[in-house]
Amino acid sequence: MTQPINKPARKTRGDLLREQMILRGEIIQDQEPAGQKKFLIVSIILLLVLAAIVAFSWIRVDLIESQSLQGLELPRDAEYASFYKLAQFLGIVCGACYLFYAGIRLLAPRRRKPNRSIWGDLGIYFMLAVVAVAMAFPLVFSIMSSLKPLDELFRFPPRVFPQHVTLDNFSDLFVTLSQSYVPFSRYLVNTVFITFVGTAGHLLIASMAAFVLAKYDFPGGKTFFNIVVTALMFSGYVTGIPNYVIMSKLHMIDTYWAIILPAFAAPIGLFLMKQFMEGLPTALIEAAHLDGASEMRIFWSIVMPNVKPAWLTAIIFSVQSLWNTNAATVIYSESKKTLVYALQQIQAGGVARTGQAAAVTVIVMLVPITIFILSQSQILETMASSGLKD
Amino acid sequence: MKSLAGKYLSMKREQMHYGWQKAKRMKTCYLFLAPYAILFFTFFILPIASSIYFSFTYYNILEAPKFVGLQNYINLVLQDEVFLTAVRNTLVIAVITGPIGYILSFLFAWFINELPRWMRTLAVVVFYAPSIAGNAFYVFSILFRGDVYGYLNAILMQFALIDRPILWLLDPNYMLPVIIIVILWMSMGTGFLSFVAGLQGVDKSMYEAGYVDGIRNRWQELYYITLPSMKPMLLFGAVMSITSAFNVCDVPRALAGYPSTDYAARTIVTHLFDYGFSRFEMGYASAIATVLFLVMILCNKAIQNMLRKVGT
Repeated sequence: MTQPINKPARKTRGDLLREQMILRGEIIQDQEPAGQKKFLIVSIILLLVLAAIVAFSWIRVDLIESQSLQGLELPRDAEYASFYKLAQFLGIVCGACYLFYAGIRLLAPRRRKPNRSIWGDLGIYFMLAVVAVAMAFPLVFSIMSSLKPLDELFRFPPRVFPQHVTLDNFSDLFVTLSQSYVPFSRYLVNTVFITFVGTAGHLLIASMAAFVLAKYDFPGGKTFFNIVVTALMFSGYVTGIPNYVIMSKLHMIDTYWAIILPAFAAPIGLFLMKQFMEGLPTALIEAAHLDGASEMRIFWSIVMPNVKPAWLTAIIFSVQSLWNTNAATVIYSESKKTLVYALQQIQAGGVARTGQAAAVTVIVMLVPITIFILSQSQILETMASSGLKD
Repeated sequence: MKSLAGKYLSMKREQMHYGWQKAKRMKTCYLFLAPYAILFFTFFILPIASSIYFSFTYYNILEAPKFVGLQNYINLVLQDEVFLTAVRNTLVIAVITGPIGYILSFLFAWFINELPRWMRTLAVVVFYAPSIAGNAFYVFSILFRGDVYGYLNAILMQFALIDRPILWLLDPNYMLPVIIIVILWMSMGTGFLSFVAGLQGVDKSMYEAGYVDGIRNRWQELYYITLPSMKPMLLFGAVMSITSAFNVCDVPRALAGYPSTDYAARTIVTHLFDYGFSRFEMGYASAIATVLFLVMILCNKAIQNMLRKVGT
C-alpha cells in the first residue's frame, strides 16, 4: 500500500471562509486534539470521584434503612442519613450531566459550523436526550413487563425493570394459543399469505403506474397523479363504509381479497416510487428507446434495477400496514382471521392475561421495528425525493 | 365577435385533436397505468363518490337505498348531540396534535441533522418506532390504569400529590388529555422520515453562501435557508399530519373504551364506526364520512397556502 506523502487536505470554500473569520476574531477556534486528551483524563478522574461518593452514600443509606427496619442498633452516622441521600442524588445528577457534556464534546464532529454556539448545541442535545428517553420509555417498559413474572406485574409500588427475568409469559401465550378453537399456525399463515400477496401485487402494479407517470408526459397523467396525492388523505376509516358496500356487491366479504385488493392500490407506494423515479435520468430511457427496447423491457431491465431503494420502501410500507391489519370488519370466519386479530383477542382477556398481553404487544411490535432498522438507510434515500411540488 | 368565437372553437377543437393524437401515440402508457387505475378507482374514488351519494339516502344494506335529500345532514347537526360532542373532541385533538406533532417532527429532524451518522440513525429509530409499533399504545392503559397498580397513580401517591387513585381512562375530565399525549407520542411518522431525508439533501453550498451573507445564528439559517429549500417535504409532511390528526380512532377506542363514559372520548371516526358497523345505517354513516372528508380537504388547502409564504 502506497500512502500519498504530504498530500494537502482538500479545502472547501467553507474552510477558507472559516479561516478568514477566525483571523478576524469573529469565531473562536476549535478545540485542539491535544486538549481533548487532557480533557479525557480529567473527566475520568472526576467521574471516578463522583462514583465513589455515590457508592459510599448508597451503601450507608442501605445499611441504615435495613437496620432501622429490623429494629436493630443504628450505626453511629445514622443522623446523617438525609445528608447521604442528598449526596447520592446530587452525585447521580452531576455525573449524568457531566457525562452528557463530555460525550457531546468528544463525539460531536470537530469541524463545527461557524455560526453555532456551544451552549445552543448543548441545550438542544440535552432536550433531545430527554425527549428520546421519554419516547422510548413506553416501548422499553412493554418489553420489560413481558419479561416479568406474575407477582412482579402487580407490585406496589411498581418497578420498571424485572428482578427475576423470565420467559414464562411467552410460553403461557403459546399454551393459550394451542388451546384455541382455530390452531395458531392458521392465523400466522393467513397473515403471511395476505402480506405476501398484497405486497407483491402492490409492488408490480404500482411501480408500472409510477414508471409511466414519472417518465412520460401523456394527457391525463398529471391530473391522475394529483388525485392520488389527494388520496393520501383517505385513510381506511373514511372509505371503510362504502368499501364494505362495494365488497359485498363484488361478493368479496369474508375472503382474503377484501384486504388484498385495496392494498394493491395503496397511494403511498405509488407516490414514493413516482417521486423517486423522477430522479432517474431521462437520457437513460431515451437511449434504450433508440436501441429499440420496448416499454416493458425498459421498465423491467432498466428502470426497476435502478430504483431498488424505492421498491424496498414500498415493500416495507406495504408489509407494515398489512401485518398490522386486524380486518375485523370484512372477515368474519374464524379460520380466516389475521394474527393481529387473534392477538388482540388475547389482550382483551383482562387482568388474568396481563402477562400474556405484554408478550403479545412485544411480538406484534418487534416485526415492523426490526424491518425498519434493517432497511432504514434505503428508506431514507427514498424519502429524500418524497417532497410535494406546488 | 362571431368570428372570434369561431376561431376560439376551432382552436379548441384542434387542441383536442392534438391531445387525442398524442393519447393514441402514448397508448402503452395507458396500458401500464390501467391495472393501478382500475383498482384505485374501485377502492378509492368509487367509495368517496358513493359515500357522497349514500349520504343523501337512507340505506341499511338489506333494502335498496331510499332518497331522503338533506335529511341525514339535518339530523346530524340538529338532532345528534353525540355527533356534536364527537366534532368538538375531534377538533380539539386535531388542533392540538396536528400542529404540535408537525412542528415537533420537523424540529427533531432538524436537531438530529448535525449529529454523527450512527447517533442520527439511533435517534431516527427511537423517534419513529412508536408510530410503527402496531398496538403498542396498549402500554398506556397500564401506565394510566385507574387503580393503585397504575404507574402514574402509584408515583403520584408516593409523592403524596393525590390521596386516592384517579380513574384516568374513565373520568371524562382526564380522557382527552391522556389521548392527546398518546397521539403525540405516536406522531413522528412518515412526515418525520421525509424531513430527516430532506434535511440531508439541502445544498451545502447554500449554507456557505449564508455565512458570507451574514447569517449569525442557527435560527436565521433555519428561516432563510433551510425552510425554503425544504418546502416540498413540508407540504408532504402536512398532508400526512392532517391525515393522522383527523382520523383518530384506534387510540380512544383502545384506551377509553367504546363507547366511552359520557361519550367524552368519541371522535368523528368512532361515531362513523358506531353507525356504520354496529347499527348498519350506511346512509347516516356516509354523511359523517363526507363531512370529515370535506373538513380534511379544506384544511389541506389552507395549510398549503400558508406554507407557500414560508421564507419569502
